[in-house]
Amino acid sequence: MRLLLVEDDIEIQSFLQDSLSEAGYEVEAAVDGKNAKRLAIASAHDVLIVDLGLPDMDGIELILRLRHLGISSPVLILSARRSVDDRVRGLEQGGDDYLTKPFALAELLARLRNLTKRNLPSSSELTRLHVLDLELDMVRRKATRGGETLNLSPQEFALLEYLCRNAGRVVTRSMILEQVWGMRILPDTNVVDVHIYRLRGKVDTDGLQPLIRTLRGVGYVLQDR
Amino acid sequence: MWSAAWRISLWATLAFALGTMLVFLFLHRFVADDVQRRSDAWLSGEVEVLGDVAERTPKDALYDRVVKEVAELATKEVPNRLRTNSGQNDSVFFLQTADDGSLRLWVGTGDGRSNLIAIRASGIVPDTPSDLHVRGFEIPFRVASIRLDDGTHIYLGLSERDELQLLRNLRLRFLLLWLSIVILGFAIVFYSTRRMLGNVQRIAEAASRIGQSDLSSRVPRTGHDDEISQLALTLNHMLDRIERSMHQLHTITDSLAHDLRSPLTAIRGKLEMSLSAPSKGEQTESIVSAVEELDHITEFLNQSLDVAEGQADALKLHRREIDLEQLLRVMIDLYEPSMSEKKIRMELHSEGAARILADPGLIHRMIANLFDNELKHLPASCMVAIRLRNEAGAVVLTFEDDGPGFASEVALHVFERRVRGPDSSGHGLGLAFVEVVVRAHGGRVTACNRKEGGAQLSVSLPLASGTRSPN
Repeated sequence: MRLLLVEDDIEIQSFLQDSLSEAGYEVEAAVDGKNAKRLAIASAHDVLIVDLGLPDMDGIELILRLRHLGISSPVLILSARRSVDDRVRGLEQGGDDYLTKPFALAELLARLRNLTKRNLPSSSELTRLHVLDLELDMVRRKATRGGETLNLSPQEFALLEYLCRNAGRVVTRSMILEQVWGMRILPDTNVVDVHIYRLRGKVDTDGLQPLIRTLRGVGYVLQDR
Repeated sequence: MWSAAWRISLWATLAFALGTMLVFLFLHRFVADDVQRRSDAWLSGEVEVLGDVAERTPKDALYDRVVKEVAELATKEVPNRLRTNSGQNDSVFFLQTADDGSLRLWVGTGDGRSNLIAIRASGIVPDTPSDLHVRGFEIPFRVASIRLDDGTHIYLGLSERDELQLLRNLRLRFLLLWLSIVILGFAIVFYSTRRMLGNVQRIAEAASRIGQSDLSSRVPRTGHDDEISQLALTLNHMLDRIERSMHQLHTITDSLAHDLRSPLTAIRGKLEMSLSAPSKGEQTESIVSAVEELDHITEFLNQSLDVAEGQADALKLHRREIDLEQLLRVMIDLYEPSMSEKKIRMELHSEGAARILADPGLIHRMIANLFDNELKHLPASCMVAIRLRNEAGAVVLTFEDDGPGFASEVALHVFERRVRGPDSSGHGLGLAFVEVVVRAHGGRVTACNRKEGGAQLSVSLPLASGTRSPN
């Protein structure tokens, strides 16, 4: 996967480049719109990551110019602006995505995956999900572990489903809130942790290998090995 | 607008009508006096001539005939004479009394007795004409008299009918003219006032529309260079300034956010990378808490800026239809584990779907703040009753608990920024945020301590029009 990262802040660019490379992406970076355009024309990229506040032009303008040149790769917009611009909303409806700074790396990776997955068959059509000895029946909305039925509430099932779909990958609290509860909120109470804690009590019973792991300061991961 | 146009044109018309009426009354009076003076002059002149004739005519058998003839001739020269229906002359009479006061000569309609009775009763003074009411005649006579040397009196009476008829015609014509002028005047004043006030109304409507939503549009100009146009111009200047300051505020908050966010992003990224690097051992704990602190700062920054913008009425809303009841059920589901961990029970009392047109992001965070508020401040084993009901075009959402309530020193200020209870751990923005979001949506929020004990927070938001559906 080739990414084009357009970010003028050198500090952010360097850590993004490092962590994206570590996550298996091939990253090209530009610090302004002119260079970004040059790189985008020179070779194809699977996703463009564009910061809105570029020194020589507005990020949106860059995206529109690239679209005009026939470059249709999906774009992940990074915005340090507080209010989401109407034009960003427009792009979002067109299939692109945005992320406000500061963000968790896990969230950036999740959004990149969503953008690149766009053209692939969706895993949501699966009727069964397997992670190690955990099995989710998507039709009957039942979960079993090692053949034993887990007694989950609909909301707990939805949470476990989300973790399973992202097995082996870190998910943050705000990702869980957005994907499972459909809200972009950041409560300053521990609501998500308590949900995870309860779910863990049902999934990781005594004597079994713990599957749901907490990565402190980052989020949670459902182990797939 | 209608009532103002009505009032203005009504008063103007009333003043005009009264003024013209007064002028007419003076004119009428003047005309009436003049007519009377003329008929009095005629009467006096004629009665003198008649007296002269009566005195010079020898008192023989022909006396009566001669005087009568002359009197009849005189009565035919009546000024302002109008035709009567009967064709006979009943507007003038001539009467001569003998020296004993009995009727001697009579020219006129009827036999003259009632005239004589009336003359005796009124005691007419010679040489000055005066009014005489005669039985059988509705309209009084104007009577002039003269005393002859032989002790007889001559009376010449002229009915005031013609005079009154003249005045009545005058009045009637004036009234018709007056009415049409008043009605026309009213119509003109009403029309122009309404047009003028219509312009004011349009300006008011535009201003209120601008105040509610779009600061970039402007009040319409009338096209004339008058006071109304001046008002529009002034308002537009004001709007220009407001828009500029609003824009400045956005720029300031945006650049502040931008300037803080970029370093925060870099710091957070680096911290995360060092977390994922192996063998950090004992440092992990401090890095984790640094990341958590950083997230707190970010959220604090977001809410501060939202509250600041909201308090300046500058929050941007992207409205969509939201069912508050459904949202509450999801929220209760989200908060239930945390609440039950503190042994706090929640109850939802709802009348069914409550659809509002609102910004989902802001409303979600606002409701989450209400739940967070209960979660953070309620002691264990309390109870929260969440009520949702429709009330006169609004959705009223109430959070009632049986906890300790608001501390008395903050009770009045819970919606102000940075106000928090004495043992609160929050940053004091939660309820301020609730207030600005609710206000930005045209709603109201109140907080009080319940009589039964515990706190009550009530949020009322305008219902999306015509979407109430029973559950």
